[in-house]
Amino acid sequence: MKEKIKIFLETDLLEKYLLGTTNQEEALQVERYIAMYPEVRNTYIELQENLEIFAKLHAIKTPAGLKERIQNRVKAENSIRSKFFKYAIAASFAALLFAGASYFFWNQNQSLQEENVIVNNKIQNLEENMRLQLEDVRNQFIVLNNPRTKRLTVQGNNKAKELKAVAYVNPVKKLSYINVSKLPNLPENQCYQMWAEVNGQMLNLGVIQEASNSEKLMALPYGENAVGYITIEQKGGNSSPTIENIVANISY
Amino acid sequence: MSILLENHIVELLQERNDKAISLLYEHYGDTLYGVAYKVVRDEDLAQDVVQESFVKIWKKSDSYDPTKAKLFTWLFRITRNTAIDKLRSANNKSDKEIQMDVSDVYKLGTEGIIPELMDVQDNLDKIDSKYQIVLDALFFQGMTQQEASDELDIPLGTIKSRLKIGLRELKKIYGSSMVLALLLSLFMN
Repeated sequence: MKEKIKIFLETDLLEKYLLGTTNQEEALQVERYIAMYPEVRNTYIELQENLEIFAKLHAIKTPAGLKERIQNRVKAENSIRSKFFKYAIAASFAALLFAGASYFFWNQNQSLQEENVIVNNKIQNLEENMRLQLEDVRNQFIVLNNPRTKRLTVQGNNKAKELKAVAYVNPVKKLSYINVSKLPNLPENQCYQMWAEVNGQMLNLGVIQEASNSEKLMALPYGENAVGYITIEQKGGNSSPTIENIVANISY
Repeated sequence: MSILLENHIVELLQERNDKAISLLYEHYGDTLYGVAYKVVRDEDLAQDVVQESFVKIWKKSDSYDPTKAKLFTWLFRITRNTAIDKLRSANNKSDKEIQMDVSDVYKLGTEGIIPELMDVQDNLDKIDSKYQIVLDALFFQGMTQQEASDELDIPLGTIKSRLKIGLRELKKIYGSSMVLALLLSLFMN
């Protein structure tokens, strides 16, 4: 071990380290030796003391004004540093602001995208509705305009004498419509409901909303020897017709 | 320098109190100026070196580690390296402007005729010149031991032993008087 220390002290690594001219690897090696071996540590301390003594032998009186120049430079350096910190704070603030804005815009973009999906769906539904309505109108036109179409006038029975409706039935196109032009007034809690018995099955065609809308044609499902009924039901409609409340029937 | 004062300066440096610079200048200014002059051999350049070194000392004050080096060692390293860099760039410049005698750079033992330097010479005369030349080459000229051996035409082994003996002798001659001077200066303060 002694030999190892001797060899180390023989090199000029310690002197190089003293002057700060070692590379990083050498510096680490020297620091390890200083930490581990008291001989090396003491030599290093001695070298440092000698360096100071030797350097002091060369001391020269500094010229007047140098101290002030140095102090001014250091002050300037401090203000640069504090300026740097000011800019750093400003920059961090700007970065924060940017992050905030980014999040805000991202969020907005996200909700706009959601809205876009909703609007697209609505447009699709509208298109579908329009297509259906258009088809309905076209069918109505075909039925009304066709010479083979039968026109059946429907009158209400005793329960609703004023009821007037016209049914249009076209056996060729297998299409039928009904136009309810007049309905007697009902108490608030009742409504008229339309039914059709086709091939032995009773179909619910829904509540007749508006009697005054005389242009509105209601589609009737087509079938051989089908019968349409109008009944008075509780408000909101019923799932099966109340037979005793039939106010009109249409055979077509 | 007393350990107490040294510790005080280190504390001020770490607190980034610029009073540290003032204290450093008062206690080490002349020595560091001497070191800078010794390397660059020009008063104006030496002043620039000291100024730049103090700015570096101030900027790097967080990197000083008292467990790794004495305060003076750290100051010396910064000043010496700044001076060597300065000398190199000054030489590069003058190389382009006028062909300067490069051997001037390593000419040893010749100082300018500045009155203050007379004391330095007196002090140094007490060290045997053969040790002085080696110490000079290694501490101020930025030479490695091998370079000093080549430059001075002295075997490497002799360089090593002269460095060791020279340093020891230095301590023998100045060690006690330095301690005395330090004690005196403490009492005066």
